[in-house]
Amino acid sequence: MSKKVLIVDDDPDVRLFTKTVIEELGYEPIEADNGEDGQKRLQENPPDLIILDVLMPRQSGIRLYRVIKTDKKFKNIPVLILSGIAKKSFLRSQKALAEFGDVEVPEPDAYLEKPVDPDQLAEVVKSLLG
Amino acid sequence: MKIRKILFVTKFEQLNFDDLRTLLNLRKADLTNVVFMNVIEREKVAMHRGRGYEKEEEIRLRETANIRFIDWAETLFEEGMEVGVYIVVGHLVPEVIKAAEKEKADLIVIGRSSKGLLERFYSGSDVTELIRRASIPVLVYKDRADSPGGKWIPFKRPLLATDWSPASMKALNYLESLDKVLEKVDVIHVASDKDLKGSSAMEVQKTRKQVRQKLEAICERLEAAGIRARAHVYVGEAVEEIEKAAEECESTMIVMGSSAKPSWIERWLGSVPLAIAEKSIYPTLIVPPDK
Repeated sequence: MSKKVLIVDDDPDVRLFTKTVIEELGYEPIEADNGEDGQKRLQENPPDLIILDVLMPRQSGIRLYRVIKTDKKFKNIPVLILSGIAKKSFLRSQKALAEFGDVEVPEPDAYLEKPVDPDQLAEVVKSLLG
Repeated sequence: MKIRKILFVTKFEQLNFDDLRTLLNLRKADLTNVVFMNVIEREKVAMHRGRGYEKEEEIRLRETANIRFIDWAETLFEEGMEVGVYIVVGHLVPEVIKAAEKEKADLIVIGRSSKGLLERFYSGSDVTELIRRASIPVLVYKDRADSPGGKWIPFKRPLLATDWSPASMKALNYLESLDKVLEKVDVIHVASDKDLKGSSAMEVQKTRKQVRQKLEAICERLEAAGIRARAHVYVGEAVEEIEKAAEECESTMIVMGSSAKPSWIERWLGSVPLAIAEKSIYPTLIVPPDK
């Protein structure tokens, strides 16, 4: 059975691009177009890897990332952040939330800033899925 | 009634990140979440004879908006806020209403310049229509005409203009939850000349006293919530007097309940809240009645 990759991104073009890379690698893509939907799909069908955008309607990737990393069922699933938001800002936001009383969460397993080259994406996905 | 999530609708020309900054004192109350929205008017990318649907133009406009929003979002994310974004092609009012419902937003912020027709962010009819159709409060943001480049801090010293309607009382509830944010609230009722017509000065004074007592009751509610408040009775034409009161009280925003009248009646008889939202130089917060 092929490994499953959950792609959470509100941009249909990015989802199509990512889905194509995932399928070419022989994995099974699952799509969600916002953070809330992503969380639903995660619970229905836990994947082997999550590719997560940050700036989305109905729950950002910042929040969903915290949900993933603070839930014992999901915290070991590797997360690749694929976003236009700079990694520095993502990390600062997690730090700020921790300072406001939220728990601390680890850094994501990989971070790629958009736009990304398909070979580079494929390489990172392969390394995260072993 | 708490303001946890703002839907910030912008066309970028004037309603900008600096303007949003003036609303972030709401974080002292309950604000944790800002959703940016840019509506690309369908006419800009619609089918044109000989050119077809202008997909490239749509991509250009989307990406331009996206670049701005990413920059704004990075700043807010770094401050520990939650941020969302909508960039859609369509008609402004239905798209904003749809996004506000999906996001369960507590406040819609939209820009409207007080400088003149050519410089307006959105057409009067769009803003008016949005106020009519929204089931949550709408803040019509204005530039400071008296100080170029200067900014209002709307949630600082609001002027609550009341006619005791259910929507006016809802507006009061809205302000009551902002004790950590507001410096002072001035509460005003504008009595018309007709209201004060009586056979004697005594009768006119009696009416004034009754109005004043009702206003004082509102002030007491605000004071009990920890907000300094002061009552004022004005007499005359409502739109003019409210504007005058805002100036005299050095207000930073006018707050009103919207009318519960059917829109055809409003179109026929006019509506004070809509006229204020349209003409006032002050940011105007219009709170709808329960629907």
